[in-house]
Amino acid sequence: MTELRWTWLIARKDLNLEFRAGGRLLSMIAFVVLAGFLFGFALDKGQVPGRAVVASLTWLTVLFASTAGAGRIFDTEEEDGAFRHVLLTPVSRRAVFLGKTVANLALTWLITALSFIALTSFLGVRTSGSLAAHAAIFLPGTIGLSATATFFGRMSRHSNLGDSLLPVLTFPLLAPLVFFGATASARVFMALPWDEISSLVRLLWAFAIGSVAVGAVLFHHVTDE
Amino acid sequence: MTLEGRGIVCDYGPVRALAGVDLRAAGREILAIVGPNGAGKTTLLKVLSGERRPDHGEVTLNGTRVSGSDAAWRARIGLVSHRTGLYEKLTAIENLRFFAALHGLRRNGRKLTATLEAVGAGDLAGRRVETLSRGQRQRVALARSILHDPEILFLDEPFTGLDPEGAAGLEHALTARRHDGAVVVLVTHDLRRGLRLADRVVVLRRGRKVFDGEAAEDGAAEILDHFTAGAEAP
Repeated sequence: MTELRWTWLIARKDLNLEFRAGGRLLSMIAFVVLAGFLFGFALDKGQVPGRAVVASLTWLTVLFASTAGAGRIFDTEEEDGAFRHVLLTPVSRRAVFLGKTVANLALTWLITALSFIALTSFLGVRTSGSLAAHAAIFLPGTIGLSATATFFGRMSRHSNLGDSLLPVLTFPLLAPLVFFGATASARVFMALPWDEISSLVRLLWAFAIGSVAVGAVLFHHVTDE
Repeated sequence: MTLEGRGIVCDYGPVRALAGVDLRAAGREILAIVGPNGAGKTTLLKVLSGERRPDHGEVTLNGTRVSGSDAAWRARIGLVSHRTGLYEKLTAIENLRFFAALHGLRRNGRKLTATLEAVGAGDLAGRRVETLSRGQRQRVALARSILHDPEILFLDEPFTGLDPEGAAGLEHALTARRHDGAVVVLVTHDLRRGLRLADRVVVLRRGRKVFDGEAAEDGAAEILDHFTAGAEAP
């Protein structure tokens, strides 16, 4: 019960700070909308139908935006050394990790929804009747993404290389997740039956559960001296 | 209550930050750890508070080994540093409420305001930290560090950037904590302030303890000699 309460406290505080800071959230939203806009222009829809690429482009947009956001969620902690004081309270490192993952996840859902709307609109792809299936794919995908980005977001802050290290660490690990997610989403856009998608969703859940579990167990290694 | 460090060695890669330091701090006592920049003061404080594991040696409280990974130990300590560790976008009272909750304390607004009043920051409760002066922030940080009534209070260069009024308020709060029976460990490069406030002084130089004794007036000259000349401990 205490762990849950700590997790909730950390997540609520992070979201509160994120919304009060405003600028960072707005820049992420602007990035997502502009990415959709530019992809819409860059693609020759006469040669390549939007339906063929919208899934991959959505997943990549979510990956870039959420990874950048995950690094920044630790900026507020470092502003005036607040994280040092959080770690000196009885709160467990596991709860800190889970709280930050939950905050990241909430922001990633926002980004995912916006990316989905922006890209399907700019690429002229119809999504009628498939929103539940898309949500069932993005749910485990974004959990895995947020947990991995949170863990490595802290690790990159802990190193001298800072932000530049985060994509180097996360992108190779997230490649399978993006592949499973983009393939599953593409199959939904192609209106394939759920039987041909469910195995990929199971892999996404396995990735999500694995990344949350590993992050929770190992997080103290990237926080403690 | 006695906090003790024995044979503490800490390395940062090839650099030896602490080379076998022993020290002892008792309840109702302010121990000042002084020394020039790079002497190892902050590293020693991090080891004592459990934030950093020493490469050799141990820290004990009343003879029982303590560790930063132990939540019960972290519940017994408080820290004030030159970085206030407050969230700028939150108000003073929101900061206190958050940290109180992490300590498992269910404090209502009135109790939190009373804690702020105790450090002369009662009128700052509803203000966002980003709008506060350095001195005001430090008072809020002090309130945050004592709201769970810690038995051991660590201070890492807490006077940095404070105006005379803010420094006087902080000194008053520290002596009050000593009066309440807490162990107060103060790290500072300001020898004169350390001597004025502390009951005992440890002087560090290049990771070694070069003086450990009473901060009485007649010992001040000797401490000053060790501070400036870096003589070896007798």
